[in-house]
Amino acid sequence: MSDFVRIFVRNRGAVVGVVVLALVAVIAATAGVLFPFSPWDMRGAPFSPPGDPDFLLGSDSLGRDVAAGIAYGARVSLLIGAVSTCVAVLIGVTLGAVAGYASGLIDDAIMRFTEFFQTIPSFVLAVVLVAIFSPSLGSIVVAIAIVSWPPVARVIRAEVLSLRSREFVQAAEVLGRSRLSIICREILPNALSPLIVLASLMVASAILLESGLSFLGLGDPNLMSWGFMIGAGRSVIRLAWWMSVFPGVAIFLTVLALNLVGEGLTDALNPRLARRR
Amino acid sequence: MSLLAVRGLTVALPAGGDRADAVHAIDFAVEPGESLCVVGESGSGKSVCAAAIMGLLPPALRVRGGSIDFEGVDLLKLSATGLRALRGARIGMIFQEPMTALNPLMRVGEQIAEVLTVHGARGGAARVPELLAAVNLPDPARIARAYPHLLSGGQRQRVMIAMALALEPALLIADEPTTALDVTTQMQILRLIKDIQTRRGTGVLFITHDFGVVAEIADRVVVMQEGRVVEAGPASAILNAPQHPYTRALIAAVPHRSAPPPRADPAVVLELIGVRKTYWRGGGLLGRRSRVPAVQDADITLHKGETLGLVGESGSGKSTLARCIVRLVQPEEGAIRFHATDLTLLDRTGWKPFRKRIQMVFQDPFASLNPRRRVGEIIAEGPMAHGTSRGVALARARELLGLVQLDASVAERFPHEFSGGQRQRIGIARALAMDPELLIADEPVSALDVSVQAQILVLLEELRRELGLTMLFITHDLRVAAQICGRVAVMQHGVIVEQGETALVFASPRHAYTRSLLDSIPGRGWMPPVG
Repeated sequence: MSDFVRIFVRNRGAVVGVVVLALVAVIAATAGVLFPFSPWDMRGAPFSPPGDPDFLLGSDSLGRDVAAGIAYGARVSLLIGAVSTCVAVLIGVTLGAVAGYASGLIDDAIMRFTEFFQTIPSFVLAVVLVAIFSPSLGSIVVAIAIVSWPPVARVIRAEVLSLRSREFVQAAEVLGRSRLSIICREILPNALSPLIVLASLMVASAILLESGLSFLGLGDPNLMSWGFMIGAGRSVIRLAWWMSVFPGVAIFLTVLALNLVGEGLTDALNPRLARRR
Repeated sequence: MSLLAVRGLTVALPAGGDRADAVHAIDFAVEPGESLCVVGESGSGKSVCAAAIMGLLPPALRVRGGSIDFEGVDLLKLSATGLRALRGARIGMIFQEPMTALNPLMRVGEQIAEVLTVHGARGGAARVPELLAAVNLPDPARIARAYPHLLSGGQRQRVMIAMALALEPALLIADEPTTALDVTTQMQILRLIKDIQTRRGTGVLFITHDFGVVAEIADRVVVMQEGRVVEAGPASAILNAPQHPYTRALIAAVPHRSAPPPRADPAVVLELIGVRKTYWRGGGLLGRRSRVPAVQDADITLHKGETLGLVGESGSGKSTLARCIVRLVQPEEGAIRFHATDLTLLDRTGWKPFRKRIQMVFQDPFASLNPRRRVGEIIAEGPMAHGTSRGVALARARELLGLVQLDASVAERFPHEFSGGQRQRIGIARALAMDPELLIADEPVSALDVSVQAQILVLLEELRRELGLTMLFITHDLRVAAQICGRVAVMQHGVIVEQGETALVFASPRHAYTRSLLDSIPGRGWMPPVG
């Protein structure tokens, strides 16, 4: 474990990523304390520029606080990123493990099914799904999970295929262990490293997807989100640049941080690749 | 003057290693036309010596002292350019893995021609067929046009030798050149090296862990242990009258005893009748699938309490046959009778009760234990899957660790904390946890050093006697088979060509393949002194 931390810390970008993520998480958690009012409340004059005594990051066309919107939006982004990734990982691991372990016809069927999802542009599919189920937190999470599980299934299937022929898995077969116990206790723990790396990157793309959906007006109407803020500021970008730029910066920093962390995890979990640098 | 004289060579290991120096104050010399064998177990520093001579030490290893004089020049003082001019031209090298030492994207002929061009030798491509012919490769013109993956392991190693000898070096360094090869191929390569050496007067520095190979090829021997030379002298003296205790222990560990003839116990435990398994390779939308018969009509009978050896070279189908018995592979034809039950007819659930009675020990001690589980759990897992409670199974795991001569406290540790031999003991304990009647051992000692190998063989033999096990022992090493198996079955290309009592089969082999296998045992003329 200490080895893991040591290699991870050696990657400066990863440390910066962790710090930025922690900051975003703290802001999300303390949004209610920092801004003890709803982000939808009109707090003063519209179009106040950033640095205004009432509005640190300016106000929007209805006089709502952009800073408060970003803080409350962080909650939505992190929540959707984390939950939809968990759901996608669950689907992907299950299908990937079954495909890799069963092989043969079942494998073929599952992989064709996976490819079916991969051939449809994921954003378009997400838009269609949210439009059908009407925008809400739940439908957005489901839509994002449905479009992002195929890479997980592929990675896990590949890992399971290679691990399945390893002698310790064969030994477990010879001991008469059940299939479920072999997959869960022998194979999957050894396939964890690529999964963790992939999941960290999936959180980033889930946040981007959610922002994109909200930008198009397909976000949960009751929740303030970064994508919605950019969408709302889009028509007045020449008049009030801060309405779009600050949420944009928030998305940029969060996604960048997640990618940096993902890279750090790759280094720490695959020390052989890392040493080559 | 010696061709190569290594004096006081000391190479430091990076700080925090298990010892200060990889090799410490090594002295040896190779005369022209002489074979010097450097023998030692893994980690003895023998390969470090070869790498130091070639200037190919990994960056973490640093030469701390000594000199390596080659034809009067100290190689350690040469610049990179000076060394490069010698490498290939005056000193040739062959490596252990012929699979990875050739560039897979270049034709064999081009790779040999490149060696000639780089050193500015005249002739170039025109000399390639002649060089290939010199290493006894059939149809040199065709081989020169082939890519490495089209050649067998032995052919590739010949190509490597042709490359190493292209510029007629004065010294040939061979680092375990036959370890990855089958016995019959190994013998051909050893004969080839010996032949080239006598023909051209090349000095050979031969690094090996196998005393059989030493007996086959060495004029003089240097024995290394933990980075030091413990004994050096003429081959006949070291092999037949070793002085140093370590050399004695190594030579005593070479399998040489013969197993007692099988007791006549009529009870049949396992009977294989006409077992057949075919693999299909390749085949896509357009390609025709090719048929690879792995096991063809195998008939084997195991009697209670005996050890049957299944011997053969790689690809002979012996492992596939073992895997058929435990249903890791589903045979397409034939019957596998365990007592009165035909195992081939059972489904997964039907098989489960037999999992307790038939167990397996695997070949690679580094791949056969799950790196993320504790040793105790690994051993207890089997009985737990069959309904034993966790507490009882873990307690039994500790007992079993004692049975395989490990400390019970190691149950809390992870597999990576153990050496190869210790891991293999854990693998044996895992199999024994089920109290099996039949133990299938698939090359259980082939990944181990000779002294560890001897301990594991003794352990298996004791366990077999104490627990009344019946054992199917798969090996490619005939010396091992002779020591542990009462009867042997010889397999070639998926067919069992001969079986019978070990002593009889080895003394008067009936099948030509058995004869060639026996002729290929390295150092077959040498009987290790007992003592």
